[in-house]
Amino acid sequence: MTAKALATPAAARRKSGLLSRLTDPRVYCSLLALSLLLIIPVAIDSPFIVHVFVTICVFAALSTAWNIVGGYAGQLSLGHMVFYGIGGYTTALLIQHFSLSPWIGMWAGAALSVLVGIGIGYPCFRLRGPFFSLATIAFLEVVRLLAIHFHGVTGGAAGLIVPLKLGWQWMIFREKINYLYIAFGLLLFAMAVSWAIRNSKLGFYLTAVREREDAALAAGVSNTRVKLKAVMISAGLTSLVGSFHAMYITFLEPATMFSLATSIEIAMFSLIGGLGTVAGPLLGTVLVVPLAELARGWLGASANGLHGFVYGTVLVLITLTLPGGLAGTFGPWVVRWIDRLPGGGTRREEYEAPEARPITGTPGEPILTAENLVMKFGGLTATDNVSITLHRGEILGIIGPNGAGKTTIFNQISGFLKPTSGSISVVGPDGATRTPVSADEFARLGVGRTFQIVQPFGKLTVLENIMVGAFMRHAKVDDARAAALRVARLVGLEDIKDVEARNLPIGGLKRLEVARTLATEPSILLLDEVMAGQSQSDTQRMVQLIRTIRDSGVTVIAIEHNMQAIMSLSDRIVVVDSGRVIAQGDPQEVVKDRRVIEAYLGEDFVHAQGI
Amino acid sequence: MKLFAKVALATTLALSAAPALAQETVKIGALYPFSGGLALLGDESFRGLELAVEERNAKGGLNGKPIQMIRGDAVDPNQAVGEARRLTSVDKVNAIFGTYSSSLAIAATQVAELAGVPYFELGAISDPITERGFQYTFRTNPTSKDFANRMVDAISDAVAPALGVDPKSLKVGIIHEDSLYGQTVAGFQQKRAQEKGLNLVETLPYSAKSVDLTPVILRLKSAGVDVVLQTSYQNDTVLFFRQMKDQGFKPKAVIGAGGGYSLRDTVQAVGPENMEGALNVDFTQYRTNPAAAPGIDAFEKKYQAKYGTPPRSGHSLANYMGANVFLDAMASAKDLSADAIREAVMKVDVPEGTTPTGWGAKFNEQGQNTRVSPFLMQWQGGELVTVFPEKAAVAKLKTGVGAN
Amino acid sequence: MDVFVQLILNGILLGSMYAIISVGLTLIFGIVRVVNFAHGEFLMVGMYAVYLLAANLGFHPYVSAVPIVILLFAMGALVQRFIIQPLLGADEHIQIFAMVGLSTALVNLALLIFGADLYSVNTPSVRQSIAFGGYTLLIGQLVMFFCALALVAGLHFFMQTTPLGRAIRATAQNRNAALLMGVRVNRIYIFSFGLGAACVGLASALLMPLYPVTPTIGTYFVLTAFVVVVLGGMRSMYGAFAGAMIIGIVDSLSGYYIAPDLKEVVYFAIFILILIFKPTGLFGLGRGTE
Repeated sequence: MTAKALATPAAARRKSGLLSRLTDPRVYCSLLALSLLLIIPVAIDSPFIVHVFVTICVFAALSTAWNIVGGYAGQLSLGHMVFYGIGGYTTALLIQHFSLSPWIGMWAGAALSVLVGIGIGYPCFRLRGPFFSLATIAFLEVVRLLAIHFHGVTGGAAGLIVPLKLGWQWMIFREKINYLYIAFGLLLFAMAVSWAIRNSKLGFYLTAVREREDAALAAGVSNTRVKLKAVMISAGLTSLVGSFHAMYITFLEPATMFSLATSIEIAMFSLIGGLGTVAGPLLGTVLVVPLAELARGWLGASANGLHGFVYGTVLVLITLTLPGGLAGTFGPWVVRWIDRLPGGGTRREEYEAPEARPITGTPGEPILTAENLVMKFGGLTATDNVSITLHRGEILGIIGPNGAGKTTIFNQISGFLKPTSGSISVVGPDGATRTPVSADEFARLGVGRTFQIVQPFGKLTVLENIMVGAFMRHAKVDDARAAALRVARLVGLEDIKDVEARNLPIGGLKRLEVARTLATEPSILLLDEVMAGQSQSDTQRMVQLIRTIRDSGVTVIAIEHNMQAIMSLSDRIVVVDSGRVIAQGDPQEVVKDRRVIEAYLGEDFVHAQGI
Repeated sequence: MKLFAKVALATTLALSAAPALAQETVKIGALYPFSGGLALLGDESFRGLELAVEERNAKGGLNGKPIQMIRGDAVDPNQAVGEARRLTSVDKVNAIFGTYSSSLAIAATQVAELAGVPYFELGAISDPITERGFQYTFRTNPTSKDFANRMVDAISDAVAPALGVDPKSLKVGIIHEDSLYGQTVAGFQQKRAQEKGLNLVETLPYSAKSVDLTPVILRLKSAGVDVVLQTSYQNDTVLFFRQMKDQGFKPKAVIGAGGGYSLRDTVQAVGPENMEGALNVDFTQYRTNPAAAPGIDAFEKKYQAKYGTPPRSGHSLANYMGANVFLDAMASAKDLSADAIREAVMKVDVPEGTTPTGWGAKFNEQGQNTRVSPFLMQWQGGELVTVFPEKAAVAKLKTGVGAN
Repeated sequence: MDVFVQLILNGILLGSMYAIISVGLTLIFGIVRVVNFAHGEFLMVGMYAVYLLAANLGFHPYVSAVPIVILLFAMGALVQRFIIQPLLGADEHIQIFAMVGLSTALVNLALLIFGADLYSVNTPSVRQSIAFGGYTLLIGQLVMFFCALALVAGLHFFMQTTPLGRAIRATAQNRNAALLMGVRVNRIYIFSFGLGAACVGLASALLMPLYPVTPTIGTYFVLTAFVVVVLGGMRSMYGAFAGAMIIGIVDSLSGYYIAPDLKEVVYFAIFILILIFKPTGLFGLGRGTE
């Protein structure tokens, strides 16, 4: 009874949410535009037109799937046809040997492609830009050559012929319109997945990883895991489309199933339409495929090569003139226009922020212990036997001259550098002591850090930047947005929450660093020179802010050059010079320490002063 | 209500009459790769069909109806499917002729079969095209199996006698590029060599994009191969002959399977003296005895008159011959329905040595021409001349390859 | 044993061909930080130019080297100025696409002008084989080997001793610092891209007597050249030279001892393994993951 009573309002809210979405012009316009892909060929009713539209749907679906890795995750794969080919071959071989319906076989192919995707992605994701592209090309070539070589299995270069068993069960039809239904369904599915990712935690994480890997790590995002998720989804989708297309052409050969040219083509559709957007890949395909069909007809045999020449030239021109693609360049303009339609432009109602993670534990207990940290870069010893113990609830200041090794210590106690020797243990939220290894693991244990050189996600807005941090504790988008808004208010960024981060001045960026870290709701906060570049009044606010944070139970370590601020703020000071801790203790006592003055002002000064 | 029925009936009648009017011309589809990498020989193949159709139209067409040709450009299998769909549905052709490339043919025939439109293959050699139990796919030209068999048989029937040795004493090496063409031909070669009890010592696939065939040549050389069977495109043929010379590899005979071996450019790039004596199995070429291929010289003249150049390869001739066989069959069919055409094609009975290619025509249940086999040719003095069988030969087979 | 020595010899000569093609790629990547996906097409353009000079003016390919090097330098400089330079601030993606687009356009332009046929230049003197102790090699290959050595040494000398070379090295190491020191970085980039392309020009003149040219000839070499550059550590010319030798020998040996159709698989596998496990290249001379 009580459960039912509780459930009803939630269900009602969901329903009204769905209804209100349908009246949103962005939704109904997209659905209308999409349905044209089905309506036009059905209305014209010519098998050739159907073929053109099947081709559009297939390539748009492939490009949409590619965009998840190439656009969202920023990993420019030029070997995506590997998954298409694996899907096609698996399905066809299962029909041939086990008379298994392609409807089942395509999922087997997708599963295999996901595994291959992990196999390719896991080792290659550490490669940057062009080298990742080259590696994917190499994988494609290897698979193609193997498919040719092992002709006992694949039929080799002679190809594999799909037996013409008709009917829905075998996905082969005399009525060509049925192919369109399936192709359109696949496209819808791919776009729905793409849209869902874009508007979820995963989408934010992928953008974060693409823009700044370090900042993403600090927000608790495991770069490799997120990219792997993207490649798994993308590989699976690509493979499904490949299976269908193999049934459509009914003939598979390594040269077409694992074609480098087609791999480049599907990437190109995304680029022309707009990388990293939901609609881009479809737009690019709808524009280019019919044009290519027509051009082939017009230019055809008379001018062998002209068609490819125009293709290549257009690609170069697009990169030079519209690097954002169609959706990136005209998208905002179209969206603004659509929002003026009936039912548009309504803002979502205020959403209540979820509870922040409570911090428990006894004040004063050791919460982070670093023992004998040694960090060597080649012959240079950056930190030499540094041991620091952090107590719950304190503000610990780390000071020292430039190049003393402060940031190196930070990098070690936040997992960004693995110490040459020494150990770090952290007390997690559950009270257990752990020794995390990777930076994202530190972050999830509650060690949040900012970067001395700011690391904003330039193409995201201020609020979205903070949301990347908030996702660590709040997986749902609405929750994360509300939590991020709360942090923005606290840090004083609410007024500029919709500004793209790359447009912020340095002071704002510093605060954004703090906000993004704070949104991860850390129990330990590592602040690396957050006062630098701030005005006098901003510094005051920052000091105030740090006190507020501490009062909420967070333990703070701050590296700072602003002596006045750090002395007034800290409960305890650690002084580092040449990679060693030379003094620690109460701020007032530390400043009187002879070694500290020497380190800062030089021995001569010390002698002259007679200290 | 009655009025409505009448109108409906009238409309139906009018609609059914429209195709009947259109039947005043016979529509055929011409599906070839007109653009893309295969365009050169795709276009050359098409010219054979074009000449055959023009010739027939000049004589009043097919049973008095002019033949209208509709071109379809198939660049890749997806495109072949699309164009085949267009030809069978939009243009509603009575039959499709094509295709030159085997993968395009396989893709397109799958569409035509489902649409119930006869598909006449005049140039693609992959065997499975006529091994799928299709009702409406027919082929006049020899298959890769015929190529392979002729190449292997040439060792015992032509090369060994010329050398004056026992065929079983010759060491045979098979090398081939690893795409569809090379892989299928080489597969049949291996089988045939086993059947014939020949001494096959090496089978080496390689990529046609190779920039170095020295390892292949060294393998052949160290195995002491006497006869090399190569299935290759142009680039790898050039590379093979050049590097064979560089490495001082001197087999007693080299036999190619058309492809790069038939092209004049290949000889020019290699140097005629280096390719002197290279044997080749391919569609009938123009230096063939007209006694065995009546009409071959007339075709060459017609081609020259229409296009202003001599034929670029034997593909046009093969397409011309095949097109004529099928157009004759269509003319003799009781109507142009697919079943009537099939019935007519099954009745075709043309003896060997009576067509411009020298091939006969008699189709098996699968639609494959059984009276067809490619000739053996040889490069002599920069010309590709037919040397075997005896009847078609214009020159005697010489032994040795290259200047050595 | 005899065959083994011949294979190694062949591998080294093949390697010198890969080296001379890869040096330009290394140069462009090392300085401009752009992977030239159209590198193979530069080679193709050069080879067609050599063919045209030989067919129309009767130039020996080695003589054509001079005008071809100048032509390719200009082409490289133009590509840098009008395609790469406007995209320097953009995503890496965009640059890759631009180069892939350029490559597609050039291949098809060649197809449009020359058709799919192959063209060759007959130079019997270069194709003469020398035999010693039972082994054979071609004069053309020997010339290529020494040219590759001379090119690497010459570029090294240029980079180390001339003011322009020093400015280039400074730019390669730290763009911003060089900018602050008054180096006109954009000009350095244009010059460097031109220089890289000019190396390909030399390669095409040396290659033409040995290989006929087709529109797709570039694709035969370019993937191998990428493998070589990665193996050598992306930016080191010595690395590229050594990498080319290794790939040449691997190519030759695996073609004989494994299977000719799997030799690409062998060196692509090496390529992937190097990228994954030793991204600094075989000799640790570069940084692949930056």
